[in-house]
Formats: sequence, structure tokens, C-alpha cells
Amino acid sequence: MQTHHLTAMSLFALLVSIAFAALGQRTPAARLRRAAVGFALFMAFAIGVAWLFYSVSS
Amino acid sequence: MDQVSSQQPIDQPIASADPQSSPPSLAVAYALAAWIVPGLGHLLLRRWFKAAAFFVAVAALAITGYAMHGQAFSPGFDGSFGLAGFVADIGSGVFYFLSRPFESAGPDLSRAAGEYATRLLAAAGIANILAIIDAYETAGRRRP
Repeated sequence: MQTHHLTAMSLFALLVSIAFAALGQRTPAARLRRAAVGFALFMAFAIGVAWLFYSVSS
Repeated sequence: MDQVSSQQPIDQPIASADPQSSPPSLAVAYALAAWIVPGLGHLLLRRWFKAAAFFVAVAALAITGYAMHGQAFSPGFDGSFGLAGFVADIGSGVFYFLSRPFESAGPDLSRAAGEYATRLLAAAGIANILAIIDAYETAGRRRP
């Protein structure tokens, strides 16, 4: 299966965020909020680090 | 009457105070079920959302990892990295043992996607290990 790196990273971030949200929160609303925040933080950190590496390497 | 002495001690263990708590052997059985099939431990404990969330997360991580030709570590791998990889991978239970049917062509680490997929397989196992611990604690204390 040919998967774009960004797609693989997004899937990883989404699924791990869901697992962490299920573990850490007790109400559906809190779980949804935690999953959304976790996913956003995963993506923001990964893209930020990628741009940092890109700026250092070029 | 002294009101303080009539109150319950605040540091009393929850398990001994909760009449619904499971015996340790039953908690181990729930943990074992959670390991064999991700989400099964929580399903038996009637934690429907957690059961579905863990099954979907672990299954999707593992199946995507196999589809991208990731490396599932066997016990024969040398070195601490191989051992850590094996411990992480075997955490996904049935998805580890079904690695051959899922990945009949074998791993392909010649591309970056194969390396990413190896991490997805490890993440599936680690997520399920966290679920196993949670199922054990939930069975022991009936945590809501």
C-alpha cells in the first residue's frame, strides 16, 4: 500500500489521540475534546519540527 | 460526639471498600482478555466506548502497519532494540499473531514507509498495553 508520509502521520496522530482520550477522560464530551486537542498538538508539533529541520538543513 | 472520628479515613483503599470489586484472579482474566483481543477486556467489563475505541485504534494501527510492510519483531531478534520492539509488538495480541496472514509478502524496510509502519505496529502494541493496564485496574476497582 502506497501511503503518503503525511497521511501515515495523520492516521497515527488520530488513532493514538483516540486511545489516550479513552484512557484519560470519563465523559464523551471530555473524550472528544481531549482527542481533538491531542490530534491538533500531534500535528502542530510534527509540522513544526519538520519545518525546523528543513530550515536547519537548507 | 466527635464528628471527626465518625468519618471514614480518607486514605482507606478503594478496592476493599467497594463491594463490586473483582478478585485479583478475575482482574487478571480481564487483563488477559484485553491482551488477546484489544477491547475485549473492556467489553466484558461493559465499558462500551473504551472497548470500541481501543479495538478501532489498535486494529487500525496494526492493519495499516502491516499494509505498509512494517517489521513485526520476533523473539529471536538480537539486542535491546529488538527486544523492545518485540515487547511493544506482542502487546497488540491477536494482531501480532496474525502478522503472517496480514503481511504475506514480508516487511519492506528499504523505503521510509516501512520504517513508519514499524512504528505504527509498535504504537498499536503500546496502546493495547495501556488498555490492558486500564482493564486490570477497572476490574479491580470498578472505576467508573
